[in-house]
Amino acid sequence: MNSTWGWPAVETLHFLGLSLLIGTVGLFDLRLMGLAKGIPMSALHKLVPWGVAGYALNVMTGIMFVTSAPDQYLFNPAFQTKLALMGIAGINVLFFYRFQFGPVKRADADSSAPRAAKVAAAISLTCWIGVIVCGRLITYYRPPYYWCFWC
Amino acid sequence: MDFLLWLEETAFSTWMRESGPAFFSTLTLHAVGMGFVVGVHVATNLRILGVAPGIPLSLMRRFFPVLWIGLVVVSVSGVLLLVAYPAKALTNPLFYLKLTSVLAALVITRSLANGVLKDSAHDAGPIPGKARVLAALSLLLWAGVVTSGRLLAYTYNILMASHQY
Repeated sequence: MNSTWGWPAVETLHFLGLSLLIGTVGLFDLRLMGLAKGIPMSALHKLVPWGVAGYALNVMTGIMFVTSAPDQYLFNPAFQTKLALMGIAGINVLFFYRFQFGPVKRADADSSAPRAAKVAAAISLTCWIGVIVCGRLITYYRPPYYWCFWC
Repeated sequence: MDFLLWLEETAFSTWMRESGPAFFSTLTLHAVGMGFVVGVHVATNLRILGVAPGIPLSLMRRFFPVLWIGLVVVSVSGVLLLVAYPAKALTNPLFYLKLTSVLAALVITRSLANGVLKDSAHDAGPIPGKARVLAALSLLLWAGVVTSGRLLAYTYNILMASHQY
């Protein structure tokens, strides 16, 4: 990580992982929210493992950033918000698979997702977009000048 | 270089560069837009390559409005980032490699959109080999675009035309 190209290479992987996540989980969320009706939600869900792979890649590369320069992250409000949004997305995904995935999987190609699943999809998409926004803002809120957004 | 010098000294360029909120909101929009532009390509190309075969292929075009909006966002934010630091990217060969890769990838997208993605005969059946090659090439090109975009922050020789020694 401390070599000339270590950090840029890991950053590049982090951006590729992000694209995998948005391209699969993000599009699945959009379908649940009503875009691209005609595509069976169960069929589109088969792309999600690629998003999980992107998520795993980004957790690993993310840990590499934080452990290489912890002072740049732990007291950084953008990073703290990013973790909070990831937490909300995590709880949301557990609720989705526990309570809403069954009916979604059985729905016809042209039907809408149940209202609760639409809400879960909107929460998911909002959280992941927010995670990208916070990730980009980490370099703006450099500690020790900022300890929270309003400081 | 005179043009770059003139551009970076305009009030707008200075504001883009020196106002934190202006610069970072543009950078953020560029990253979010990238997620959707590359993301729609990831999904469509994976489907062409045989992942998630239950998706009727031609209906992937219903996600294309997301792609068009994303392309507008990355283009506008990309131009604004160029205005902030014109010499930084325009004097870096990697920037031209990135732009060429974007254009090549979009030519492939147009060819697929007017080909296999238009013909509902391919909705459930196997996808022709040529389209699969194009889909794989598209994924490689987009990975190259993301990589070169990220490396633009590290490979420039000139940050500002007025700061050369």
